[in-house]
Amino acid sequence: MNKRYLVFLAVLASLALTMSSCLFDSEDSALSSWLSDQGMPDTYKVQTLSIGDLTPLSAEVFLDSTPRGANDRALFGQSANIQHDMVLDFGFDSLLLSTLKNADSAASFLFFRLLPSLYKSQYFPKDSFPLEEDLAVTVSWKLDRSKKSSFLEDIMEITDKDWYKSLSKWKPDASVDTTYSISIGKKDSTLTLVMPHALIDSIRKDVSLCRLQLRLSAPDAKRVYRFYGPNYVYKPQFRITTLSDTLFMYRNLAPFRVADAIKSNEECSDCQVLHGGVFDSMVVEFPSEPIMKGLADFYGDEFPYTVGDGDDVRQAVVLAQMTFPRDDSKGFSELGHPIQVVVGSFVDSLDKEIRRMEEYKVNRKGVVENGHPNMVFYEGDSLTLQVTFGMRNFINKASDGRTFKMMMRLGYPVLQDKDSSYTNYITSKGDTSYVFFSQFDYARYDFTEIMKKPATLKLWLASKRGDE
Amino acid sequence: MKKLFGIILCFVAFSSASMIGLDALGEEQTLGGMASMAGRGYAGSAKTGEAEGISLMNPARIAFDTKVVFNVNFLMEFLSIEHSNTYYSTNSITIPSFNLSFPMGNYGALGLSLWQRYSSTLDVEADDSSSVINAKMKYQSSVYEVVPSYAVRVPYLRNFSLGGSAHFVMGNTERSLSLGPDNSGVSKKDYWATNNSKITDYVDGTWEVKNHPAYYSFALQYRGRQSSYYFSYTTPHTLENKLNYNFRFSEIDTLAPTKYTREIDVPMTLATGMNFRFKKRNNVMLDLQWRSWDDDVENIGRSFDMDQFTDTQNDILLAAGFQRDGSPLFYDKYWDRITYRCGGWYKGWYVENAHELGGSIGAGFPLGHKGTTVDLAIQGGKRFVDDGHSWEETFIGLRLGLMGIGNWGSTAR
Repeated sequence: MNKRYLVFLAVLASLALTMSSCLFDSEDSALSSWLSDQGMPDTYKVQTLSIGDLTPLSAEVFLDSTPRGANDRALFGQSANIQHDMVLDFGFDSLLLSTLKNADSAASFLFFRLLPSLYKSQYFPKDSFPLEEDLAVTVSWKLDRSKKSSFLEDIMEITDKDWYKSLSKWKPDASVDTTYSISIGKKDSTLTLVMPHALIDSIRKDVSLCRLQLRLSAPDAKRVYRFYGPNYVYKPQFRITTLSDTLFMYRNLAPFRVADAIKSNEECSDCQVLHGGVFDSMVVEFPSEPIMKGLADFYGDEFPYTVGDGDDVRQAVVLAQMTFPRDDSKGFSELGHPIQVVVGSFVDSLDKEIRRMEEYKVNRKGVVENGHPNMVFYEGDSLTLQVTFGMRNFINKASDGRTFKMMMRLGYPVLQDKDSSYTNYITSKGDTSYVFFSQFDYARYDFTEIMKKPATLKLWLASKRGDE
Repeated sequence: MKKLFGIILCFVAFSSASMIGLDALGEEQTLGGMASMAGRGYAGSAKTGEAEGISLMNPARIAFDTKVVFNVNFLMEFLSIEHSNTYYSTNSITIPSFNLSFPMGNYGALGLSLWQRYSSTLDVEADDSSSVINAKMKYQSSVYEVVPSYAVRVPYLRNFSLGGSAHFVMGNTERSLSLGPDNSGVSKKDYWATNNSKITDYVDGTWEVKNHPAYYSFALQYRGRQSSYYFSYTTPHTLENKLNYNFRFSEIDTLAPTKYTREIDVPMTLATGMNFRFKKRNNVMLDLQWRSWDDDVENIGRSFDMDQFTDTQNDILLAAGFQRDGSPLFYDKYWDRITYRCGGWYKGWYVENAHELGGSIGAGFPLGHKGTTVDLAIQGGKRFVDDGHSWEETFIGLRLGLMGIGNWGSTAR
């Protein structure tokens, strides 16, 4: 019974399929003309709109001065009015301390190995060596002691984050000002700094387990010196030498972590200055009215859109870019390469405003001809930054009366300014082509005058508005 | 924009049902698209029997049933659209309804249906490698109704029954138009900015009845020795479709949607029908449904040049059918136990100038001795639309209904 039924059903189904394939010849144009009759589009029409004379309402610079990890690249010195202090964290065991206490005399040194990825790079300025200066350094330290056997383990359990935070309130037990005559001729040299006697004397005072936090500050240095951090084999070393009777001994200790504590020595508090290599950022705020007026004139609709819930989805920004005038003359760059300007903007997410980094879409043809438009220390007199996400969100939510805000900061040095790939890549020969230098340029760029001048916004728009 | 359609070289449709009223309510699945009803041209809501099951237009009918009936219905439809002497064919598969009826003797009968009443289905992709066109269009909208019903035979007037049902409306709407850029209006040096930038005009939403949990149907049925009649009334109601309109760049990169609720005033429905039985197992039947639309239906619209309203007309279903019931005796020949059906219908859609003419043949194949039946209907017809653009849809539908019949709750006398 079931078989008979199934056969019957199969015959019917195949009959229906055969009939449909015979009867229903298909031509694509029928569907497309039907869709067209329904007013449905097959593309969105791109329109461009430029809105000029956008003078920023405000531009505010924020410097995150919280100390940060320097375990890969340890550094100290000063560049572009930003002082970089190196803080090293050491632990001393009781065997070493008792040797020290019993010794007739002792001394201490710090050894640093120059960072070859910077100094040996072909992209490091060739005429920089030898690095010479009389370097005034303030050596300060904190010593903590305990007889508890787990003292050193307890210290190592202090998270890096907590340690960095504690360094913001640095109150040393002692400090000594000293001057080192620096002369580094070779790119793979080791820098040796003799530590003040007061330091080793205070360490050897007691045999209790001891933690040393050592800070090097050189606010007047000519440059920032960069070395291998403790994550490398050639890590910084704290060498202690002892002399007892005629027995000379030394021991090398590596810090278990290193931090970079930064301090701004900028004198102009009203200036809009961005620095390279540190996470300072500038938030630029533009008024809503000229942008809304530009859109209203363009579409002939009311902007901002206040109908219903006021979320404007009548059009969308496919791409937006803001062009600022540019003057590099007040800037300072260590390495002499153009530096990318990284952009973020403020968008709504789950009813909160969050900062979102912008994507950069490359105008390949334009870049090959004129270089990337988002660089400073480069030929030309303008800086063009893409703010697509921010502008998309701003127009969507403008009914609440908000202003348009964007964030910028200095990024990595650009080695191939006219390479449209905008990322390091492997060439057909198997070599790596570096578009960016992997080291920061501790540069300084003054936007004060630029932010007083009008910028121009260019929008690529897709609209839901019909043709009619 | 219209010109660009002319140069589309490749248009792939993944599936599509009728495209009439796509942006409005979509296609209505008449009477739950039941294979047994479809086989006799949607006529026969007045027909009574021991296991006729639910009629969505006539909730009073199940009072005369004596057996529990469960059925599920499938539809496979092949569609050809003729427009300006060109054809486009597509197909779709849907499950228009599930139905369960549970007679309780003197206590009446309960029923429960899940009915996909309206649906818009379209999934097409336009691709032209020689130009920038790369568009995807998708409609996936369903207005579902959960319909509990109750019917009881009138005391003392046992040939009459009264029934009522509540239609709880739910469902979702999705319209997604993914489009590539048309740079013809901008300078060549600005083309780079929109390369590979697809944008989706995306609308989604939900359905419910405004201000009420449901809308309601009431019916009166008369069962005579040979003739049966019914009359039903369905309350007018307003459907609320809460929509979010958006522009999407990807599923996680969207604008804040703007919200809008479209309201569709659905008028009352009047339905009547009769069934005349002769020579024991032969039935002829005639049904009429009528809705008089006062207002146009607001479309999802609001994008590009799409119309904001769909004009309506008086919506009517005129159905006539014949059914020869299969022998209930399991020892009869199998061919004699099969139920045979045929019918035809005329349907004026709610969409102005849209008319449908169709015919069908069907059969109910009993499986085993316990009353399980497979209903099959093959139907075909045409939908004509004369809205100034004159286009037609020719359809062939294959409907399959699985019906389980049981004697739960009945005791041997």
